Amino acid sequence: MGAFAAMAWNGFREARRNRVTVLVAAFALLLLFATTLITEVTVSTFDRVVTDFGLGVMSLLLVFLAIYLSSGLISREIERRTIFLMVSKPLSRTRFLLARLAGNMLTLGVLLLAMTLLFWVELVLHRSPITQPQMAALWGLYLELFVLTSAGFLMSTFASQLVSALVTTGLYFAGHLCSDIYNLGVKSKAEFVQWISKGTYYALPNLERLNFRPRATYAIEVTAAELGTATLYALGWGALFCVLAAIVFERRDFR
Amino acid sequence: MTAPAAHDSSLPVSIRGLSKTYRVGFFLNNQVKALQGLDLEIAPGQVYGLLGPNGAGKSTTIKILMGLVRASQGQALLFGEPPDRPHVRRQVGFLPENPSLYEYLTGREFVTLAGRIFGLSGHDLDQRVERVLGEVGMGRASNLQIRRYSKGMVQRTALAQALISGPRLLVLDEPTSGLDPLGRRQMRDLILAERQKGTTILFCTHIISDVESLCDRVVVLVGGRRVQEGSVQELVSAKAPSVEMVVHGLPLEQLQSLGFAYEQAQQLDSRVLLRVPDSDSHGLLQSVISKGGRVSRVQPARFSLEDLFLDAMKQAGGQTVGGEIQ
Repeated sequence: MGAFAAMAWNGFREARRNRVTVLVAAFALLLLFATTLITEVTVSTFDRVVTDFGLGVMSLLLVFLAIYLSSGLISREIERRTIFLMVSKPLSRTRFLLARLAGNMLTLGVLLLAMTLLFWVELVLHRSPITQPQMAALWGLYLELFVLTSAGFLMSTFASQLVSALVTTGLYFAGHLCSDIYNLGVKSKAEFVQWISKGTYYALPNLERLNFRPRATYAIEVTAAELGTATLYALGWGALFCVLAAIVFERRDFR
Repeated sequence: MTAPAAHDSSLPVSIRGLSKTYRVGFFLNNQVKALQGLDLEIAPGQVYGLLGPNGAGKSTTIKILMGLVRASQGQALLFGEPPDRPHVRRQVGFLPENPSLYEYLTGREFVTLAGRIFGLSGHDLDQRVERVLGEVGMGRASNLQIRRYSKGMVQRTALAQALISGPRLLVLDEPTSGLDPLGRRQMRDLILAERQKGTTILFCTHIISDVESLCDRVVVLVGGRRVQEGSVQELVSAKAPSVEMVVHGLPLEQLQSLGFAYEQAQQLDSRVLLRVPDSDSHGLLQSVISKGGRVSRVQPARFSLEDLFLDAMKQAGGQTVGGEIQ
Protein backbone atom coordinates (compact mmCIF):
# COMPACT_ATOMS: atom_id res chain seq x y z
CA MET A 1 0.00 0.00 0.00
CA GLY A 2 1.49 3.33 -1.07
CA ALA A 3 1.54 6.50 1.00
CA PHE A 4 -1.58 7.89 -0.71
CA ALA A 5 -3.58 4.70 -0.27
CA ALA A 6 -2.40 4.35 3.35
CA MET A 7 -3.57 7.87 4.15
CA ALA A 8 -6.90 7.39 2.35
CA TRP A 9 -7.52 4.08 4.10
CA ASN A 10 -6.70 5.75 7.40
CA GLY A 11 -9.37 8.37 6.68
CA PHE A 12 -11.90 5.57 6.19
CA ARG A 13 -10.72 3.93 9.43
CA GLU A 14 -11.05 7.25 11.27
CA ALA A 15 -14.63 7.71 10.08
CA ARG A 16 -15.46 4.10 10.94
CA ARG A 17 -14.28 4.65 14.51
CA ASN A 18 -16.09 7.97 14.79
CA ARG A 19 -19.24 7.67 16.90
CA VAL A 20 -21.13 10.20 14.79
CA THR A 21 -20.61 8.12 11.64
CA VAL A 22 -21.74 4.96 13.38
CA LEU A 23 -24.81 6.71 14.85
CA VAL A 24 -25.78 8.26 11.52
CA ALA A 25 -25.32 4.95 9.72
CA ALA A 26 -27.42 3.13 12.34
CA PHE A 27 -30.09 5.84 12.19
CA ALA A 28 -30.21 5.71 8.40
CA LEU A 29 -30.57 1.94 8.37
CA LEU A 30 -33.32 2.20 10.99
CA LEU A 31 -35.17 4.82 8.95
CA LEU A 32 -34.89 2.74 5.80
CA PHE A 33 -36.27 -0.18 7.70
CA ALA A 34 -39.12 2.05 8.88
CA THR A 35 -40.15 2.46 5.25
CA THR A 36 -42.21 -0.66 5.86
CA LEU A 37 -44.37 1.33 8.28
CA ILE A 38 -44.84 4.20 5.84
CA THR A 39 -46.14 1.79 3.21
CA GLU A 40 -49.03 0.93 5.50
CA VAL A 41 -50.60 4.34 4.83
CA THR A 42 -50.35 4.12 1.04
CA VAL A 43 -52.90 2.54 -1.25
CA SER A 44 -51.93 2.91 -4.88
CA THR A 45 -48.64 4.87 -4.81
CA PHE A 46 -46.61 2.33 -2.93
CA ASP A 47 -43.59 2.24 -5.29
CA ARG A 48 -43.44 6.02 -5.39
CA VAL A 49 -43.56 6.41 -1.60
CA VAL A 50 -40.92 3.76 -0.98
CA THR A 51 -38.58 5.29 -3.56
CA ASP A 52 -39.14 8.86 -2.45
CA PHE A 53 -38.80 8.11 1.25
CA GLY A 54 -35.82 5.77 0.84
CA LEU A 55 -33.82 8.11 -1.39
CA GLY A 56 -34.79 11.08 0.76
CA VAL A 57 -33.51 9.44 3.94
CA MET A 58 -30.23 8.49 2.25
CA SER A 59 -29.78 11.96 0.84
CA LEU A 60 -30.53 13.80 4.08
CA LEU A 61 -28.29 11.71 6.31
CA LEU A 62 -25.41 11.34 3.89
CA VAL A 63 -25.38 15.08 3.14
CA PHE A 64 -25.29 15.75 6.89
CA LEU A 65 -22.44 13.30 7.29
CA ALA A 66 -20.55 14.68 4.28
CA ILE A 67 -20.72 18.20 5.73
CA TYR A 68 -19.80 17.04 9.23
CA LEU A 69 -16.83 14.94 8.11
CA SER A 70 -15.42 17.23 5.44
CA SER A 71 -15.66 20.46 7.41
CA GLY A 72 -13.68 19.07 10.33
CA LEU A 73 -11.03 16.86 8.85
CA ILE A 74 -8.33 19.35 7.94
CA SER A 75 -9.23 22.04 10.49
CA ARG A 76 -9.16 19.44 13.29
CA GLU A 77 -5.77 18.18 12.08
CA ILE A 78 -4.47 21.75 12.26
CA GLU A 79 -6.10 22.50 15.62
CA ARG A 80 -4.89 19.29 17.26
CA ARG A 81 -1.50 19.61 15.54
CA THR A 82 -1.58 16.07 14.17
CA ILE A 83 -0.79 17.80 10.90
CA PHE A 84 2.84 18.31 12.06
CA LEU A 85 3.60 14.62 11.83
CA MET A 86 1.86 14.14 8.50
CA VAL A 87 2.99 17.18 6.50
CA SER A 88 6.62 16.57 7.52
CA LYS A 89 6.57 13.09 5.96
CA PRO A 90 7.49 12.21 2.36
CA LEU A 91 3.99 12.99 1.12
CA SER A 92 3.31 16.35 -0.52
CA ARG A 93 0.67 18.58 1.03
CA THR A 94 -1.56 18.27 -2.03
CA ARG A 95 -1.36 14.49 -2.01
CA PHE A 96 -2.10 14.49 1.72
CA LEU A 97 -5.17 16.65 1.08
CA LEU A 98 -6.38 14.48 -1.80
CA ALA A 99 -5.77 11.32 0.23
CA ARG A 100 -7.94 12.69 3.03
CA LEU A 101 -10.62 13.57 0.47
CA ALA A 102 -10.39 10.08 -1.01
CA GLY A 103 -10.77 8.58 2.48
CA ASN A 104 -13.88 10.67 3.04
CA MET A 105 -15.39 9.69 -0.30
CA LEU A 106 -14.62 6.03 0.44
CA THR A 107 -16.50 6.31 3.74
CA LEU A 108 -19.49 7.98 2.09
CA GLY A 109 -19.37 5.48 -0.77
CA VAL A 110 -19.39 2.48 1.57
CA LEU A 111 -22.30 3.95 3.56
CA LEU A 112 -24.22 4.73 0.38
CA LEU A 113 -23.64 1.18 -0.82
CA ALA A 114 -24.84 -0.30 2.49
CA MET A 115 -27.95 1.88 2.43
CA THR A 116 -28.58 1.04 -1.21
CA LEU A 117 -28.42 -2.66 -0.46
CA LEU A 118 -30.96 -2.30 2.34
CA PHE A 119 -33.11 -0.13 0.09
CA TRP A 120 -33.07 -2.82 -2.60
CA VAL A 121 -33.91 -5.50 -0.04
CA GLU A 122 -36.93 -3.38 0.95
CA LEU A 123 -37.97 -3.07 -2.68
CA VAL A 124 -37.56 -6.77 -3.35
CA LEU A 125 -39.49 -7.69 -0.20
CA HIS A 126 -42.36 -5.46 -1.28
CA ARG A 127 -42.12 -6.70 -4.87
CA SER A 128 -41.33 -3.25 -6.19
CA PRO A 129 -39.06 -2.89 -9.23
CA ILE A 130 -35.46 -1.65 -9.04
CA THR A 131 -35.46 0.99 -11.76
CA GLN A 132 -32.87 2.84 -13.84
CA PRO A 133 -33.92 6.27 -12.52
CA GLN A 134 -33.31 5.01 -8.97
CA MET A 135 -29.77 4.05 -9.95
CA ALA A 136 -29.30 7.44 -11.61
CA ALA A 137 -30.55 9.16 -8.45
CA LEU A 138 -28.07 7.23 -6.32
CA TRP A 139 -25.22 8.17 -8.65
CA GLY A 140 -26.40 11.79 -8.59
CA LEU A 141 -26.42 11.69 -4.80
CA TYR A 142 -22.83 10.45 -4.74
CA LEU A 143 -21.80 13.25 -7.10
CA GLU A 144 -23.53 15.77 -4.87
CA LEU A 145 -21.67 14.36 -1.85
CA PHE A 146 -18.42 14.78 -3.79
CA VAL A 147 -19.12 18.45 -4.55
CA LEU A 148 -20.12 19.17 -0.93
CA THR A 149 -17.14 17.26 0.47
CA SER A 150 -14.73 19.18 -1.80
CA ALA A 151 -16.31 22.47 -0.71
CA GLY A 152 -16.05 21.43 2.95
CA PHE A 153 -12.40 20.54 2.43
CA LEU A 154 -11.68 23.88 0.82
CA MET A 155 -13.25 25.70 3.76
CA SER A 156 -11.52 23.55 6.35
CA THR A 157 -8.07 24.42 4.97
CA PHE A 158 -8.41 27.94 6.37
CA ALA A 159 -11.50 28.11 8.62
CA SER A 160 -12.68 26.41 11.80
CA GLN A 161 -14.98 23.39 11.71
CA LEU A 162 -18.01 25.45 12.70
CA VAL A 163 -17.48 28.07 9.99
CA SER A 164 -16.73 25.37 7.40
CA ALA A 165 -19.88 23.46 8.32
CA LEU A 166 -22.04 26.59 8.20
CA VAL A 167 -20.71 27.69 4.82
CA THR A 168 -21.01 24.19 3.34
CA THR A 169 -24.57 23.87 4.65
CA GLY A 170 -25.33 27.27 3.10
CA LEU A 171 -23.84 26.06 -0.16
CA TYR A 172 -26.08 22.99 -0.04
CA PHE A 173 -29.25 25.06 0.26
CA ALA A 174 -28.11 27.77 -2.15
CA GLY A 175 -27.01 25.08 -4.60
CA HIS A 176 -30.48 23.57 -4.62
CA LEU A 177 -32.15 26.97 -4.91
CA CYS A 178 -29.89 28.25 -7.70
CA SER A 179 -32.54 28.00 -10.41
CA ASP A 180 -35.12 29.72 -8.24
CA ILE A 181 -32.68 32.54 -7.52
CA TYR A 182 -32.01 32.88 -11.26
CA ASN A 183 -35.71 32.91 -12.08
CA LEU A 184 -36.29 35.53 -9.42
CA GLY A 185 -33.80 37.78 -11.23
CA VAL A 186 -35.41 37.12 -14.60
CA LYS A 187 -38.82 38.18 -13.27
CA SER A 188 -37.45 41.22 -11.44
CA LYS A 189 -37.42 44.62 -13.13
CA ALA A 190 -34.57 45.93 -10.97
CA GLU A 191 -31.26 45.59 -12.81
CA PHE A 192 -29.38 45.19 -9.55
CA VAL A 193 -31.46 42.15 -8.55
CA GLN A 194 -31.00 40.65 -12.02
CA TRP A 195 -27.26 41.12 -11.74
CA ILE A 196 -27.09 39.59 -8.26
CA SER A 197 -29.25 36.60 -9.16
CA LYS A 198 -27.24 35.86 -12.30
CA GLY A 199 -23.98 36.21 -10.38
CA THR A 200 -25.20 33.83 -7.69
CA TYR A 201 -26.37 31.33 -10.30
CA TYR A 202 -23.00 31.20 -12.03
CA ALA A 203 -20.85 31.43 -8.88
CA LEU A 204 -22.43 28.45 -7.12
CA PRO A 205 -22.75 24.81 -8.18
CA ASN A 206 -26.31 24.08 -9.25
CA LEU A 207 -26.94 20.95 -7.19
CA GLU A 208 -30.35 20.45 -8.79
CA ARG A 209 -28.47 19.30 -11.90
CA LEU A 210 -27.35 16.28 -9.85
CA ASN A 211 -30.74 15.64 -8.30
CA PHE A 212 -32.57 12.82 -10.09
CA ARG A 213 -34.71 11.86 -7.10
CA PRO A 214 -37.97 13.35 -8.44
CA ARG A 215 -37.39 11.43 -11.69
CA ALA A 216 -36.77 8.24 -9.71
CA THR A 217 -39.99 8.79 -7.78
CA TYR A 218 -42.01 9.11 -10.97
CA ALA A 219 -39.90 6.48 -12.82
CA ILE A 220 -38.87 8.87 -15.60
CA GLU A 221 -35.78 7.51 -17.31
CA VAL A 222 -32.51 9.49 -17.13
CA THR A 223 -30.52 9.40 -20.37
CA ALA A 224 -26.83 8.54 -20.54
CA ALA A 225 -26.14 12.03 -21.87
CA GLU A 226 -27.84 13.60 -18.86
CA LEU A 227 -25.87 11.40 -16.50
CA GLY A 228 -22.61 12.13 -18.32
CA THR A 229 -23.22 15.87 -18.23
CA ALA A 230 -24.09 15.73 -14.55
CA THR A 231 -20.94 13.72 -13.84
CA LEU A 232 -18.74 16.18 -15.71
CA TYR A 233 -20.47 19.10 -14.00
CA ALA A 234 -19.86 17.62 -10.54
CA LEU A 235 -16.26 16.65 -11.34
CA GLY A 236 -15.63 20.17 -12.63
CA TRP A 237 -16.88 21.83 -9.47
CA GLY A 238 -15.16 19.25 -7.26
CA ALA A 239 -11.88 19.75 -9.13
CA LEU A 240 -12.18 23.53 -8.80
CA PHE A 241 -12.71 23.27 -5.04
CA CYS A 242 -9.82 20.79 -4.76
CA VAL A 243 -7.43 23.02 -6.71
CA LEU A 244 -8.35 26.02 -4.55
CA ALA A 245 -7.96 23.90 -1.40
CA ALA A 246 -4.53 22.72 -2.58
CA ILE A 247 -3.40 26.29 -3.32
CA VAL A 248 -4.48 27.49 0.14
CA PHE A 249 -3.06 24.42 1.90
CA GLU A 250 0.30 24.58 0.07
CA ARG A 251 0.82 28.20 1.16
CA ARG A 252 -0.14 27.76 4.80
CA ASP A 253 2.30 27.97 7.70
CA PHE A 254 1.66 25.47 10.46
CA ARG A 255 2.91 27.28 13.56
CA MET B 1 13.47 30.65 -0.27
CA THR B 2 16.04 31.59 -2.88
CA ALA B 3 17.30 29.01 -5.35
CA PRO B 4 20.32 27.14 -4.04
CA ALA B 5 23.71 27.42 -5.72
CA ALA B 6 26.28 24.64 -5.21
CA HIS B 7 25.66 22.65 -2.03
CA ASP B 8 27.47 20.11 0.03
CA SER B 9 25.13 17.14 -0.01
CA SER B 10 27.15 15.46 2.73
CA LEU B 11 25.91 18.05 5.23
CA PRO B 12 22.68 16.85 6.80
CA VAL B 13 21.66 20.43 7.59
CA SER B 14 22.84 23.63 5.96
CA ILE B 15 21.17 26.96 6.69
CA ARG B 16 22.13 30.30 5.11
CA GLY B 17 20.69 33.68 6.06
CA LEU B 18 17.41 32.15 7.15
CA SER B 19 14.72 34.64 8.19
CA LYS B 20 11.08 34.28 9.03
CA THR B 21 8.62 37.07 9.61
CA TYR B 22 5.10 36.27 10.77
CA ARG B 23 2.25 38.64 10.03
CA VAL B 24 -0.04 38.94 13.02
CA GLY B 25 -3.06 40.94 14.11
CA PHE B 26 -6.61 41.07 12.75
CA PHE B 27 -5.53 42.86 9.57
CA LEU B 28 -2.13 41.08 9.48
CA ASN B 29 -0.54 44.51 9.75
CA ASN B 30 1.92 43.67 12.53
CA GLN B 31 5.09 41.73 11.91
CA VAL B 32 7.00 39.45 14.25
CA LYS B 33 10.55 38.60 13.24
CA ALA B 34 10.90 35.04 14.50
CA LEU B 35 14.25 34.41 12.78
CA GLN B 36 16.81 36.91 11.52
CA GLY B 37 19.56 35.78 9.19
CA LEU B 38 20.42 32.47 10.80
CA ASP B 39 23.48 30.56 9.52
CA LEU B 40 24.05 26.98 10.58
CA GLU B 41 25.81 23.85 9.40
CA ILE B 42 25.56 20.42 10.96
CA ALA B 43 28.12 17.76 10.08
CA PRO B 44 27.20 14.07 9.75
CA GLY B 45 27.02 12.18 13.03
CA GLN B 46 26.83 15.29 15.21
CA VAL B 47 24.35 15.85 17.98
CA TYR B 48 23.53 19.50 17.57
CA GLY B 49 21.57 21.50 20.13
CA LEU B 50 19.46 24.56 19.49
CA LEU B 51 19.34 26.35 22.82
CA GLY B 52 17.35 29.42 23.67
CA PRO B 53 14.51 30.84 25.73
CA ASN B 54 10.89 30.67 24.66
CA GLY B 55 10.34 32.53 21.39
CA ALA B 56 14.02 32.46 20.45
CA GLY B 57 13.32 30.94 17.03
CA LYS B 58 14.27 27.32 17.79
CA SER B 59 10.98 25.75 16.81
CA THR B 60 10.63 28.05 13.79
CA THR B 61 14.02 26.83 12.53
CA ILE B 62 12.93 23.24 12.93
CA LYS B 63 9.54 23.87 11.33
CA ILE B 64 11.19 25.44 8.29
CA LEU B 65 13.46 22.40 7.99
CA MET B 66 10.46 20.10 8.24
CA GLY B 67 8.41 22.02 5.67
CA LEU B 68 5.78 23.15 8.15
CA VAL B 69 6.62 26.83 7.78
CA ARG B 70 7.87 28.70 4.71
CA ALA B 71 10.99 30.83 5.13
CA SER B 72 10.69 34.54 4.33
CA GLN B 73 14.34 34.79 3.23
CA GLY B 74 17.45 32.66 2.99
CA GLN B 75 17.67 28.94 2.46
CA ALA B 76 17.51 25.78 4.50
CA LEU B 77 18.82 22.58 2.97
CA LEU B 78 18.77 18.96 4.08
CA PHE B 79 21.51 16.83 2.51
CA GLY B 80 22.13 19.66 0.04
CA GLU B 81 18.54 19.83 -1.22
CA PRO B 82 15.38 21.75 -0.35
CA PRO B 83 13.57 20.01 2.49
CA ASP B 84 10.23 19.58 0.71
CA ARG B 85 11.52 16.90 -1.68
CA PRO B 86 10.08 13.46 -0.83
CA HIS B 87 13.40 11.59 -1.24
CA VAL B 88 15.00 14.05 1.21
CA ARG B 89 12.21 13.63 3.73
CA ARG B 90 12.58 9.87 3.56
CA GLN B 91 15.95 10.32 5.30
CA VAL B 92 14.56 12.40 8.15
CA GLY B 93 12.71 11.42 11.33
CA PHE B 94 10.82 14.16 13.16
CA LEU B 95 9.48 14.40 16.70
CA PRO B 96 7.55 17.67 17.21
CA GLU B 97 7.10 19.44 20.53
CA ASN B 98 4.16 17.97 22.49
CA PRO B 99 3.37 15.53 19.69
CA SER B 100 -0.24 14.90 18.87
CA LEU B 101 -1.10 11.56 17.28
CA TYR B 102 -4.32 10.15 15.81
CA GLU B 103 -6.08 9.14 19.02
CA TYR B 104 -8.43 6.69 17.32
CA LEU B 105 -5.46 4.52 16.30
CA THR B 106 -3.44 2.20 18.48
CA GLY B 107 0.25 2.97 18.89
CA ARG B 108 1.11 0.07 16.59
CA GLU B 109 -1.33 1.25 13.92
CA PHE B 110 0.09 4.77 14.05
CA VAL B 111 3.69 3.64 13.69
CA THR B 112 2.62 1.30 10.86
CA LEU B 113 0.86 4.19 9.12
CA ALA B 114 4.02 6.29 9.43
CA GLY B 115 6.03 3.41 7.95
CA ARG B 116 3.65 3.13 4.99
CA ILE B 117 3.95 6.85 4.29
CA PHE B 118 7.72 6.33 4.22
CA GLY B 119 7.14 3.69 1.53
CA LEU B 120 7.72 0.63 3.70
CA SER B 121 5.53 -2.45 3.42
CA GLY B 122 5.14 -6.15 4.10
CA HIS B 123 7.41 -8.15 6.35
CA ASP B 124 10.07 -5.42 6.47
CA LEU B 125 7.53 -2.95 7.84
CA ASP B 126 6.20 -5.42 10.41
CA GLN B 127 9.72 -6.15 11.63
CA ARG B 128 10.63 -2.49 11.89
CA VAL B 129 7.42 -1.65 13.76
CA GLU B 130 8.14 -4.41 16.23
CA ARG B 131 11.75 -3.27 16.66
CA VAL B 132 11.15 0.46 17.15
CA LEU B 133 8.24 -0.11 19.51
CA GLY B 134 10.51 -2.36 21.55
CA GLU B 135 13.32 0.21 21.49
CA VAL B 136 11.10 2.94 22.92
CA GLY B 137 9.60 0.58 25.48
CA MET B 138 6.12 0.52 23.96
CA GLY B 139 6.02 -3.12 22.90
CA ARG B 140 3.37 -4.12 25.44
CA ALA B 141 1.08 -1.09 25.29
CA SER B 142 1.18 -0.74 21.52
CA ASN B 143 -2.22 -2.37 21.00
CA LEU B 144 -4.05 0.17 23.16
CA GLN B 145 -5.73 3.16 21.54
CA ILE B 146 -3.59 6.28 21.80
CA ARG B 147 -6.38 8.17 23.59
CA ARG B 148 -5.63 5.94 26.59
CA TYR B 149 -1.91 6.79 26.64
CA SER B 150 -0.12 8.96 29.19
CA LYS B 151 1.97 11.88 27.94
CA GLY B 152 5.16 9.83 28.22
CA MET B 153 3.65 6.99 26.19
CA VAL B 154 2.56 9.42 23.47
CA GLN B 155 6.10 10.87 23.40
CA ARG B 156 7.64 7.40 23.05
CA THR B 157 5.21 6.39 20.31
CA ALA B 158 5.98 9.64 18.49
CA LEU B 159 9.68 8.84 18.76
CA ALA B 160 9.01 5.33 17.43
CA GLN B 161 7.32 6.76 14.32
CA ALA B 162 10.32 9.08 13.84
CA LEU B 163 12.68 6.09 13.93
CA ILE B 164 10.61 3.77 11.71
CA SER B 165 12.42 4.61 8.48
CA GLY B 166 15.93 4.34 9.98
CA PRO B 167 16.59 8.05 9.40
CA ARG B 168 20.02 9.56 8.73
CA LEU B 169 18.85 12.77 10.41
CA LEU B 170 16.68 12.91 13.50
CA VAL B 171 15.02 16.24 14.31
CA LEU B 172 13.66 16.48 17.85
CA ASP B 173 11.74 19.48 19.15
CA GLU B 174 11.81 19.61 22.97
CA PRO B 175 12.03 15.80 23.25
CA THR B 176 12.17 15.73 27.04
CA SER B 177 9.68 18.45 27.90
CA GLY B 178 6.79 17.31 30.06
CA LEU B 179 8.38 13.98 30.90
CA ASP B 180 8.98 12.75 34.44
CA PRO B 181 12.62 12.21 35.52
CA LEU B 182 12.56 8.55 34.52
CA GLY B 183 11.01 9.38 31.15
CA ARG B 184 13.64 12.07 30.57
CA ARG B 185 16.40 9.65 31.40
CA GLN B 186 15.01 7.05 29.01
CA MET B 187 14.59 9.63 26.26
CA ARG B 188 18.20 10.73 26.72
CA ASP B 189 19.35 7.10 26.54
CA LEU B 190 17.41 6.63 23.30
CA ILE B 191 19.03 9.74 21.81
CA LEU B 192 22.46 8.49 22.86
CA ALA B 193 21.72 5.09 21.31
CA GLU B 194 20.85 6.80 18.03
CA ARG B 195 24.08 8.78 18.21
CA GLN B 196 25.97 5.51 18.64
CA LYS B 197 24.42 4.32 15.37
CA GLY B 198 25.82 7.40 13.61
CA THR B 199 22.52 9.23 13.19
CA THR B 200 22.84 13.00 12.98
CA ILE B 201 20.59 14.59 15.57
CA LEU B 202 19.30 18.13 15.71
CA PHE B 203 17.30 18.93 18.77
CA CYS B 204 16.02 22.03 20.37
CA THR B 205 15.41 22.57 24.02
CA HIS B 206 15.55 25.11 26.79
CA ILE B 207 16.68 22.44 29.27
CA ILE B 208 20.38 23.16 29.62
CA SER B 209 21.31 19.90 31.34
CA ASP B 210 20.02 18.00 28.29
CA VAL B 211 22.30 20.01 26.02
CA GLU B 212 25.32 19.50 28.30
CA SER B 213 24.82 15.76 28.49
CA LEU B 214 23.91 15.09 24.85
CA CYS B 215 25.29 17.66 22.43
CA ASP B 216 28.54 17.87 20.48
CA ARG B 217 27.80 21.40 19.35
CA VAL B 218 25.39 24.07 20.43
CA VAL B 219 23.95 27.24 18.97
CA VAL B 220 22.34 29.74 21.33
CA LEU B 221 19.46 31.69 19.80
CA VAL B 222 17.94 34.78 21.36
CA GLY B 223 15.24 36.89 19.71
CA GLY B 224 15.63 35.04 16.41
CA ARG B 225 19.38 35.71 16.21
CA ARG B 226 22.38 33.48 16.73
CA VAL B 227 24.35 34.78 19.70
CA GLN B 228 26.78 31.90 20.37
CA GLU B 229 27.87 28.81 18.49
CA GLY B 230 30.45 26.13 19.18
CA SER B 231 31.13 22.90 21.03
CA VAL B 232 29.96 22.78 24.63
CA GLN B 233 33.60 22.63 25.78
CA GLU B 234 34.64 25.61 23.63
CA LEU B 235 31.78 27.75 24.81
CA VAL B 236 32.29 26.97 28.47
CA SER B 237 36.07 27.39 28.44
CA ALA B 238 35.97 30.57 26.33
CA LYS B 239 34.83 32.50 29.35
CA ALA B 240 37.61 33.93 31.61
CA PRO B 241 37.92 31.73 34.73
CA SER B 242 36.53 32.89 38.07
CA VAL B 243 37.28 32.00 41.69
CA GLU B 244 34.80 31.51 44.53
CA MET B 245 35.78 32.40 48.11
CA VAL B 246 33.99 31.99 51.43
CA VAL B 247 35.02 34.71 53.94
CA HIS B 248 34.36 34.79 57.71
CA GLY B 249 34.73 37.68 60.14
CA LEU B 250 34.12 40.59 57.76
CA PRO B 251 30.71 42.07 56.87
CA LEU B 252 29.58 42.28 53.25
CA GLU B 253 29.66 46.10 53.27
CA GLN B 254 33.33 46.16 54.30
CA LEU B 255 34.25 43.64 51.61
CA GLN B 256 32.41 45.68 48.99
CA SER B 257 34.39 48.77 50.01
CA LEU B 258 37.66 47.00 49.11
CA GLY B 259 37.14 47.98 45.44
CA PHE B 260 37.15 44.60 43.72
CA ALA B 261 34.83 43.87 40.78
CA TYR B 262 32.76 41.06 42.28
CA GLU B 263 30.81 38.82 39.91
CA GLN B 264 28.84 37.69 42.93
CA ALA B 265 28.75 38.86 46.57
CA GLN B 266 26.27 37.28 48.95
CA GLN B 267 25.86 37.22 52.75
CA LEU B 268 25.26 33.66 54.03
CA ASP B 269 24.63 33.79 57.82
CA SER B 270 28.02 34.75 59.28
CA ARG B 271 29.86 34.02 56.02
CA VAL B 272 30.14 35.90 52.76
CA LEU B 273 30.31 34.15 49.39
CA LEU B 274 32.38 36.06 46.85
CA ARG B 275 33.06 35.38 43.18
CA VAL B 276 35.81 37.34 41.43
CA PRO B 277 37.83 37.03 38.20
CA ASP B 278 40.86 34.80 38.66
CA SER B 279 43.18 37.80 38.14
CA ASP B 280 41.75 39.52 41.24
CA SER B 281 41.75 36.46 43.50
CA HIS B 282 45.28 36.91 44.86
CA GLY B 283 44.77 40.58 45.76
CA LEU B 284 41.40 39.88 47.40
CA LEU B 285 42.88 37.06 49.48
CA GLN B 286 45.63 39.35 50.80
CA SER B 287 43.18 42.19 51.52
CA VAL B 288 40.81 39.92 53.47
CA ILE B 289 43.65 38.55 55.63
CA SER B 290 45.12 42.01 56.24
CA LYS B 291 41.67 43.27 57.42
CA GLY B 292 41.47 40.41 59.94
CA GLY B 293 39.13 38.21 58.00
CA ARG B 294 39.42 34.45 57.57
CA VAL B 295 39.05 32.54 54.31
CA SER B 296 37.57 29.03 54.70
CA ARG B 297 37.35 28.07 51.04
CA VAL B 298 38.92 29.09 47.73
CA GLN B 299 37.95 27.20 44.58
CA PRO B 300 37.71 27.78 40.85
CA ALA B 301 34.13 28.53 39.85
CA ARG B 302 32.73 26.19 37.23
CA PHE B 303 31.36 28.19 34.34
CA SER B 304 28.34 26.31 33.07
CA LEU B 305 26.30 26.44 29.93
CA GLU B 306 23.60 28.01 32.06
CA ASP B 307 25.89 30.99 32.78
CA LEU B 308 26.64 31.21 29.07
CA PHE B 309 22.94 31.12 28.31
CA LEU B 310 22.18 33.89 30.80
CA ASP B 311 25.11 35.95 29.49
CA ALA B 312 23.83 35.55 25.96
CA MET B 313 20.40 36.75 27.00
CA LYS B 314 21.91 39.77 28.76
CA GLN B 315 23.88 40.61 25.62
CA ALA B 316 20.70 40.39 23.59
CA GLY B 317 19.07 42.96 25.85
CA GLY B 318 17.14 40.54 28.02
CA GLN B 319 14.73 39.64 25.24
CA THR B 320 13.15 36.38 26.26
CA VAL B 321 9.77 35.88 24.73
CA GLY B 322 8.81 36.20 21.08
CA GLY B 323 10.69 37.72 18.21
CA GLU B 324 11.11 41.37 17.39
CA ILE B 325 7.73 43.02 16.91
CA GLN B 326 7.35 45.83 14.41
